[in-house]
Amino acid sequence: MRFAMILLGILVVACTAGSLIPQGQTYAWYAEKYSERTAALIVATHLDDAFHSWWFILINAFLCINLIACNLVRLPSLIRRTKNYAKPDENPVVSAPYHEDINTAFTKMKMSGVKEMEKNGHRVLFSFKHRIGLWGAWVCHLGVLLLIVGYSLGQMTYKEYAVYGVPGDTLAVPGTSLAVTIDDFRIELREDDTVEQYTADITAFDLSKSSEGKSATISVNHPADLLGYRFYQNSTGWAANITILKNGEYFQSKVVCAGDYLPVQDKPELVIYFNAFYPDYQFIEGYGPSTRSGKVLNPAYLYSVYYMGQMLGMNVLSSEDVLTIDEYTVYFSEPQSYTLIQIKKDSFTWLAFVGALVIIAGLFLAFYIQPQKLWAVEEEDGSWTVKASCKKGDMLFRRQFETEIEGKNKDASY
Amino acid sequence: MLRIENTLFTIVLITYFLSMAFYFLYVVGKKKIYSRLGLGLQILGLVLHTAAIICRGIGAGRLPLTNQYEFASAFAWGLCLISLIFILIYRFYTLGAFASPVFLVMTGYAALLDNQVRELMPALRSGWLGIHVSTAIISYGAFGLAFVLGIVFLLRDKLKARGFLDRHLPDKEKLDMLGYRSVALGVLFLTITIITGAIWAEQAWGRYWSWDPKETWSLITWIIYAIYLHLRIRRGYHGKAAAIFAIIGFGCVLFTYVGVNTLIPGLHSYG
Repeated sequence: MRFAMILLGILVVACTAGSLIPQGQTYAWYAEKYSERTAALIVATHLDDAFHSWWFILINAFLCINLIACNLVRLPSLIRRTKNYAKPDENPVVSAPYHEDINTAFTKMKMSGVKEMEKNGHRVLFSFKHRIGLWGAWVCHLGVLLLIVGYSLGQMTYKEYAVYGVPGDTLAVPGTSLAVTIDDFRIELREDDTVEQYTADITAFDLSKSSEGKSATISVNHPADLLGYRFYQNSTGWAANITILKNGEYFQSKVVCAGDYLPVQDKPELVIYFNAFYPDYQFIEGYGPSTRSGKVLNPAYLYSVYYMGQMLGMNVLSSEDVLTIDEYTVYFSEPQSYTLIQIKKDSFTWLAFVGALVIIAGLFLAFYIQPQKLWAVEEEDGSWTVKASCKKGDMLFRRQFETEIEGKNKDASY
Repeated sequence: MLRIENTLFTIVLITYFLSMAFYFLYVVGKKKIYSRLGLGLQILGLVLHTAAIICRGIGAGRLPLTNQYEFASAFAWGLCLISLIFILIYRFYTLGAFASPVFLVMTGYAALLDNQVRELMPALRSGWLGIHVSTAIISYGAFGLAFVLGIVFLLRDKLKARGFLDRHLPDKEKLDMLGYRSVALGVLFLTITIITGAIWAEQAWGRYWSWDPKETWSLITWIIYAIYLHLRIRRGYHGKAAAIFAIIGFGCVLFTYVGVNTLIPGLHSYG
């Protein structure tokens, strides 16, 4: 047990470090926030990704080994103790003479299934209950083991993808044979303009099969299971239609999400990058562009232009403005919300949750199912001595014995 | 409804204060009537507090368990409820004198927070909210009580066999057992809190565990109390050591509740 306590202590320290040190940042970020030396230490010790570092995995592996060893070592003695629980103890926790009808002692203590036996030449009446409570800690340890194993297997096999687009788009899910059509996307607003819900109607296809697609409606907190994957309405943002004219004639157009870019078809080294969208644009001196509200009242588009990887410029365009680059004229229109759909597959989530339920069952057994036994020994003069044991030495059980068997004051208080 | 809630909340503060005063009088005056008055006022305060929470729920049109004010109020309610249950089951009235200042301070802390009703973001609109937060309230309340019992134990240990407190407090063995029972209740409910939170996170964020600071600190708290429970098995970690552990554990609970929300940004930053 000492080794387990050391492991748990190390786990506390590791978790504390992982929560206090911002995770997943770059060396330069840590160097700026702390110092060069601290940044080097953080990166060298993998504290920048503590919960996926080799030493964190090692701690958990040792914990698993410890749990397995602990449960295996304890199993034979636990089975023995469970079997032996159906016998009176040599050393009862409490004992008192009883002068009433002996059957009432068992009734008062809420013990049933009284058996008669003989011990050391004395007639003995014996009853026990809740011996399953002996298994609480063992079951709890099993649950922790299942949970860690389920989580670890999930981490090793977990697959997660994301696609984003606007209604009408059919998007291939990279790395899979899946494609998703966004049939509709709605943002339900309350009277005060706060968001009530984000909802998307989607259809998923398996491109490796010629079967029909499966449709579902997904919203925040309501994912859908389609084709062996789980689909989530993850987040949203703004998109707009970027139209390019060449020498005044229509040339190309595409709906582009903020944060994405559009290369010019016949000159791919020239790229229009859509930085951000301001639905109700305002410019504040010293602060820059921002939006007054979420409503599309005065739309404006922050863009930048790149040529061969070099930024040529950055500016804000209103819906009426156009951008001219040589023979190309660019304008933004039709702002709309896009949806980001998260797709995931974790084949071991069930195991982790089974482990979690087993932990709860184990804790309940350990704390609230208290093995108790009561027996009465007939003395040579015909009187009875009532004895009892409560495996977990429960205070209430003792008090119940004191009041019901010994006849002490029920109203004793502090 | 929200106006009624404000009025009820003020009355709750006064009632808890009076309950505390009578519990103190019981400790000093050793008269049974004071303990019964303290208990009666604690029950009255709890009923009014429940009514205030229900009024807020009706006024807000949702479960009132989503921001710092609502959780602080519910935390105080949970501690008041758990201490009341322990007082009644174990007939330990003096406990009221130690528990009432804590839930009074927690209620006072809630009163200092912004109590404006705000609409819920979509991620919080889930049936899991109720069970996740209400089990957290019971858990935090039980750990709060274990903290109080830890202090009572240390006080009793310090006072030895001198004076009136000695006659009005259970012996150290019983205090130790009560502290253990309280931690056990807290650990069971903290486990349910973490698991229901994981199920909810799986539905809302697509991951049941993402090492968010609140999740991580809940796990740290769970491990701390798991160490406490394991150390109790060994001789020498009962009594004083266990009491100190319960006090440290509650510090961890408070950090998970207040510190993480204010000091470490994460997915639970709204809470």
